[in-house]
Amino acid sequence: MTRIHVVTDSGSDLPKEVREKYNIHVVPLTIQFGEDIYVDGIELSAKAFYQALKEALVLPSTCQPSPADFVKCYESISKPGEHIISVHLSSELSGTYQSAVLASTMLEDRHIHVLDSKSASIGIGLVTLAVAEAVQNGASVEDAVKEGERVIEEIEVFFVVDTLEYLRRNGRIGAASAIVGSLLNIKPVLTLKDGIVTPHDKIRGKSRALKEISDIFKRYLTAHPNRKVRIGITHADSISEANIIRDELISDFDMKDILIEYIGATIGVHVGPGTVALLWYPL
Amino acid sequence: MQVITGADLKKMFSVAAQVLSDQKDRVNALNVFPVPDGDTGTNMALTLKSAIRELDNLKSDDISKVAAAIARGSLMGARGNSGVILSQFFRGFSDGLAKLKTANGKELAFAFQQASKTTYKAVMKPVEGTMLTVGRAIAEASIKAVEQQELRPDQVWEIGLNAGKTALANTPNILPVLKEAGVVDAGGEGLIVALEGAYRCLIGEIDYTLDEIVVQDGIDQEVISRIKGELKNKYCTEFIIKGNNLNVNQIRKKLEPKGDSLLVVGESDLIKIHIHTDGPGQILDICTKLGDLTDIKIDNMQLQSETISQAAGNIVTFPTDKIANTPVDEPKEIGIVAVVPGQGLAEIFLSLGVDKIIPGGQTMNPSTEELIQAVEEVNADSVIILPNNKNVIFSAEQVKEFVDKKVEVIRCKTIPQGIAALIGFGNHMDFEQNVNAMKEGMEHIHSGEITYAVRSTKAGELNIEEQDFIGLADGKIVAAGQSLNQVGMQVLASLVKESSSLISIYFGDNIITDEAEAFSTLVKEKYKECEVELYSGGQPLYYYILSVE
Repeated sequence: MTRIHVVTDSGSDLPKEVREKYNIHVVPLTIQFGEDIYVDGIELSAKAFYQALKEALVLPSTCQPSPADFVKCYESISKPGEHIISVHLSSELSGTYQSAVLASTMLEDRHIHVLDSKSASIGIGLVTLAVAEAVQNGASVEDAVKEGERVIEEIEVFFVVDTLEYLRRNGRIGAASAIVGSLLNIKPVLTLKDGIVTPHDKIRGKSRALKEISDIFKRYLTAHPNRKVRIGITHADSISEANIIRDELISDFDMKDILIEYIGATIGVHVGPGTVALLWYPL
Repeated sequence: MQVITGADLKKMFSVAAQVLSDQKDRVNALNVFPVPDGDTGTNMALTLKSAIRELDNLKSDDISKVAAAIARGSLMGARGNSGVILSQFFRGFSDGLAKLKTANGKELAFAFQQASKTTYKAVMKPVEGTMLTVGRAIAEASIKAVEQQELRPDQVWEIGLNAGKTALANTPNILPVLKEAGVVDAGGEGLIVALEGAYRCLIGEIDYTLDEIVVQDGIDQEVISRIKGELKNKYCTEFIIKGNNLNVNQIRKKLEPKGDSLLVVGESDLIKIHIHTDGPGQILDICTKLGDLTDIKIDNMQLQSETISQAAGNIVTFPTDKIANTPVDEPKEIGIVAVVPGQGLAEIFLSLGVDKIIPGGQTMNPSTEELIQAVEEVNADSVIILPNNKNVIFSAEQVKEFVDKKVEVIRCKTIPQGIAALIGFGNHMDFEQNVNAMKEGMEHIHSGEITYAVRSTKAGELNIEEQDFIGLADGKIVAAGQSLNQVGMQVLASLVKESSSLISIYFGDNIITDEAEAFSTLVKEKYKECEVELYSGGQPLYYYILSVE
């Protein structure tokens, strides 16, 4: 059987243990603070990023990996004739997917399957994880890709941001642009629809917005009573709020294996500190 | 005297307006709650004043024409619930006199009957022991009297008036809240005062004078003087920064301590700043370092408000260009008009997407005419009105009859309800969806208000002394005492439930920021599981408006 390699980008926010366990390779995006450029996850940890963000007078930006970065990765992890499944940030939010597709056409001696996760952060991570699990369980490349596509179709993403400014200034605001700023502390609850940021609700107060997110999940479970789900929670330097959601879910549903991870710099640049996201897909 | 002529009726109403205006304070004091916003007298006097203004341009001396003009004028000038009901009384009165040149006793009794019927039709759920009951007593007594014998109009008027007085005295026996407060119904009293004035003119006891009838418009002197007084952060400063990679958060943090009502919105290359500050120069200094400044506008709000209160004399206008009477804005699908007291609250409502603010609320109920004007001014074919006060809902509903636009009134009775409704509004929804979302939005909010007692009274178990602080929770008095913070905490205690998670405090113009912050700290300590937000509302008379959700 030919080997199948799994690749994602640094927007996937998968913890190191998971990456190592499933042998998932990461192509990093780069983060630019003024003149300084850092490789996400390697030269810049999530914690260091949020610290730097607090002190920055000029906001950072991200830069997608070039096709050459992908070619280099694909060549280094695989031999000619092998398969690669490469899962990436929503093509509506980043050119990363495009770079990977270009790279795949440049390497004719490998079978490269590039998937648009239509998601971000641990959403990409969960799709990648589903693919890697299938691979580890001995699935064929077709079946592993199919599993990835199924998860892309079924994954749900809801998140609350402290402010829409980060999404706005980076042009990632999508349909949420209709929400106007106000003098009150209103938290937008957002979702991703076909990879595009879309408003779900606006709520006064962060804790009420967080509660709405867990309520959405509870409503989902009530509507799909017999489905097991895998859950991910990510946060932009806001662990206590992520824990609030986790505690809410644990107390109600007895779910032990909830993945809680930092939103890394790649996504953090676009959503801003204080963002908390809840994601899940049916197993 | 066998008939009343149109000329008689003109004089009678002019005197009625004068008398009611003279006695409005006494009528205002007949408030079920001892709160300082008793305004039934003022509202009715202003409504009547608007009615007789309509007579100026009237050439005809037919009684039907005079009555019709009074009906029209009072309808346009109707303020508050009592004003609206009074206008409906005149509307029916006018219908009853239709086509007549003069009216005899029988015709007058018929007019009273029509007047009473119209008031009942206008109110969705008629409550007895109110102006309605008094009006009906007048109608029934006069009809009964003319059925028994032929009477002159002044005799009918006297019989009706006496029956009305008896009914008025009986209102506390019908409505327990009146008995508890030890008052008669204020609206009923206003009606009797007006009709008695008219009667005394009819029988020649009071002569009609040409003196201009002066009624102080809607707001008491205290409010005007407060607006004229020293304003903190008096420069409204607005401008745009054009630059690169501007950090909205950092800029906000930097400007936050320099003033209030801060708004920093925009994108990394274009940011709009709005702030009220005492140091506009300092603000500009900070921001010139960040990029190019354009569209700079600095207004002295104190001078503005002085000019406004001097020039207009009538209506308190907030010194923000978006508020009332501004040139036409961009056309919108759905416009929103809100009645809001206080500058801070007005700015909060504007920031939530309201197109026109009508300054007013507790002590200053806007007239139907002001509401119509605002609705007309909004550049949208569909308009949603947020009355934010139970006494404004009725006049807001009247607007539908006068404008060609699709109008819906969200029946919000408090500022917190109005804010909750607004948060439900979204541009991506159509008119009906928005109306539903807004109604739904205000369902789960509880409102508290802290003010002071204008007289000593009892409310349930509570003994209230004049000048005590009193606290209302969802419209009921739940606390009274000498300590503002204590009363505030008691109100919260009856509003906060286990499921509550957000407490908002809007402090009035009679509270300084330090005091409000101290109260907010107290609330935070007591309700650790809730988020607590503090805003400057700037509303008159109400120290705090609270919301719990």
